Amino acid sequence: METTMKRFFLLAALALGMQPAYSFCGFYVAKADAKLFNTTTQVIIARSGQHSTITMSSDFKGDVKDFAMVVPVPKVLQRDDIRVVERVLFDKLDAYSGPRLVEYWDENPCYTRMMDAISMNMVPQAAEKSSKREMAFAEDEIKTVRIEAKYTVGEYDILILSAEESGGLERWLLRNGYKIPEGARDVLEPYIKSNMKFFVVKVNIEELDKSGSQLLRPLQVSFDSPKFMLPIRLGMANSHGKQDMIVYLLTPNGRVETVNYRTVKIPSDRQIPEFIKEDFGDFYVDVYKTACKREGSNNIFLEYAWNVSGNAGVKCDPCTGTPPVITDLQEAGASWLSANGNWNGMTGRAFFTRLHVTYDREHFPQDLVFQETPNRENFQARYIITHAATGPLKCEEAKNYLANLKQRRTLELRELASLTGRDIGKYYEYLNKVQGYVPGEESDPIPLPEITPEKIKRVTQPKLAVVPDTITESQAEEAVVPVTGDSGNIDQAKFINDETDNQPVQEAGRSNSYLVLSASILISALLLLLRSRRT
Amino acid sequence: MTTVSIPSIPLKRATLEAFGSLRGVALRIVSDARFYQILFLSVFLLYGIAVLGWDVDAWKFVLTVGTCFLTQLFFTAATSKDYYSLLSAAISSLSLCLMLKAGEAGVIALAAFLSIAEKFVLRINGKHFFNPTNFGICLAILLTGQAWISPGQWGNNGFLLLLIGSLGLIVLVKVKRFDTAAAFLFTYIGLLSFRHIVYQGWPVDFLFHQLQSGTLLLFTFFMITDPVSTPSHPWARIGWAAAVGALAFVLQSYYFVNGSPLWALFFLSPFTLLLDKLFKHSNFKWKQQ
Repeated sequence: METTMKRFFLLAALALGMQPAYSFCGFYVAKADAKLFNTTTQVIIARSGQHSTITMSSDFKGDVKDFAMVVPVPKVLQRDDIRVVERVLFDKLDAYSGPRLVEYWDENPCYTRMMDAISMNMVPQAAEKSSKREMAFAEDEIKTVRIEAKYTVGEYDILILSAEESGGLERWLLRNGYKIPEGARDVLEPYIKSNMKFFVVKVNIEELDKSGSQLLRPLQVSFDSPKFMLPIRLGMANSHGKQDMIVYLLTPNGRVETVNYRTVKIPSDRQIPEFIKEDFGDFYVDVYKTACKREGSNNIFLEYAWNVSGNAGVKCDPCTGTPPVITDLQEAGASWLSANGNWNGMTGRAFFTRLHVTYDREHFPQDLVFQETPNRENFQARYIITHAATGPLKCEEAKNYLANLKQRRTLELRELASLTGRDIGKYYEYLNKVQGYVPGEESDPIPLPEITPEKIKRVTQPKLAVVPDTITESQAEEAVVPVTGDSGNIDQAKFINDETDNQPVQEAGRSNSYLVLSASILISALLLLLRSRRT
Repeated sequence: MTTVSIPSIPLKRATLEAFGSLRGVALRIVSDARFYQILFLSVFLLYGIAVLGWDVDAWKFVLTVGTCFLTQLFFTAATSKDYYSLLSAAISSLSLCLMLKAGEAGVIALAAFLSIAEKFVLRINGKHFFNPTNFGICLAILLTGQAWISPGQWGNNGFLLLLIGSLGLIVLVKVKRFDTAAAFLFTYIGLLSFRHIVYQGWPVDFLFHQLQSGTLLLFTFFMITDPVSTPSHPWARIGWAAAVGALAFVLQSYYFVNGSPLWALFFLSPFTLLLDKLFKHSNFKWKQQ
């Protein structure tokens, strides 16, 4: 029996009879100087009807031998219900759905030709980190704990435990070398009382060595359950710090939202200054943090929602990564889809939702409960920069252009302030710097007033609600969208209006609802007529 | 010289009469408890749009309000001709704007139509027994599958508890239905507490989180307390409200139904008829309070 104490991860997981989720228990505390998303935990939930498949990716950074996790699951899982998947699946989904930056170029008013292009970047997301270490499970059960099943799957040794009371489970885990965080007993109790089983995972060092890799792959479990939820409470057993999680959801009908917390759209389609291109990742982290502050700490943020069905023409717009293909979706658990030989590669409907949550013990007293809605409206976190015209700006038309440019850049800075809470006084030079036009030079064609930092500050009080979306429909339609993400799949990047995508579904719903409406009116009229005759 | 004012006398009288009748209408509206409901529901809607940043499609609001008013006008003209009942249509349309989510015009019009038509068509012994908004929402979801409710849209915070609770209380005092709200909340929250806090061992803030849900508060103070469609006898009403609370608890905890109070009310509403038969009491009439 292994006697050394192992470091212990509690992966919160499925709540009763539901889909599980996981989160780490208190090993990450956000620091002001650390990038928030560096420690993001990621989960994929695919759900159709009562069947859920949950894939959990750990951001474990320590020695692999120290890795262990406990996930509550709704029932005893069979060997076939558990498998490991490749980490690249998460990378794909992340790259596909991450916030994006779109670029436009102004036409030089002194030229007749248009220089038009667009590119985009994506937010660098959490890098994979994980590790493992051997942990032998002790066999000496404490009476109230029963080993329901025992499997080796990939590089993991897995036990399914059932327990009658949390004290027994706690003692069992301690005796078997798990270093349980203080307070674990209290958070285990509700799951035991909900008749949940515990999915206990450690690394099988031999298997890991055989695989030749030191990286732990994500684990996937499948089960039937009426509950659509993600237990996060277990992960907060010994921590008051914040934990960050991204949940990718695949469902047949439409967008997923949380039932017991507010689902808020992250600000999107905002026109921001050109220099943000240099540090888009940091920018988005600030956007996210500011949104958390503004909306309150007990919300979930929607970062992406898109129809990825076989018949959906445009799977992203612009694309930051290759849209998931049928094999990716099936790998993630969307077993209701089937491959076909057509151009779109699949039969069946699928909708992709990406939710981002930063939770802590204080603001999230309940596990996350989800619902799938019929809402198939697409959404993405998109930010737009427009480059100023290049080349000499000394013609008459340039006057107006430069005046407008200055105004636009003032608005962009205001937008930046409201989105990120940054002090934009330091960016004041941005207002006066245009290639081909340097204020103060003798050749300066337009004596525009200098804008000082004090003046900007006066006009840039962060008032998010007041700042208008500065991109217009016509601008958007002019855009051409090549991709500079890691996919390099430029063919996917066609700029097509979202609504074409939604038409088939909405049409179907519409015909149905109008039919029901007509029938209701008829029935009501008949009943009313009958009533009036009787009286 | 004094005759100059003579022709103006009838004019003045007409103006005064017109003003007087307008004043009468305004006074009657203001003294009606429904006026407060309309006012408060409008406040919640504005709060949702301005503070919580709900997605707003003006056409959906126009369609909801338009359909409710037209349906109400039509049925009122065909039956009682009591046009003050348009106040009820205003409440129904505001409640629909607050609670119902749908993407298509047909679904929205259907819910609005059903909400109002139900009051005239499903009327037995001079009383309709479904809450109009509840009926419209539940049937639109069941019949089309293209509508939904977002119990999470309000978020959870103490301010909301205070706002909806205190404004709701004013209405409850006016329509004398505090008993219904209390019986429902007591049963629903009591059972939830027993199961989750006492039995399962969740921490107490689990319960506070539940209590601060705007959807639950709105339901408690503005839907289940509808004086017209609930049982008339006070004890019958209390028992019935407790049953709604118990069913909502069961649906939520054992069948994992989201927005369970709405469904519990929908399924138990027909029992109002039976209870009214067993426990005789005069029906509620909207009047100046």
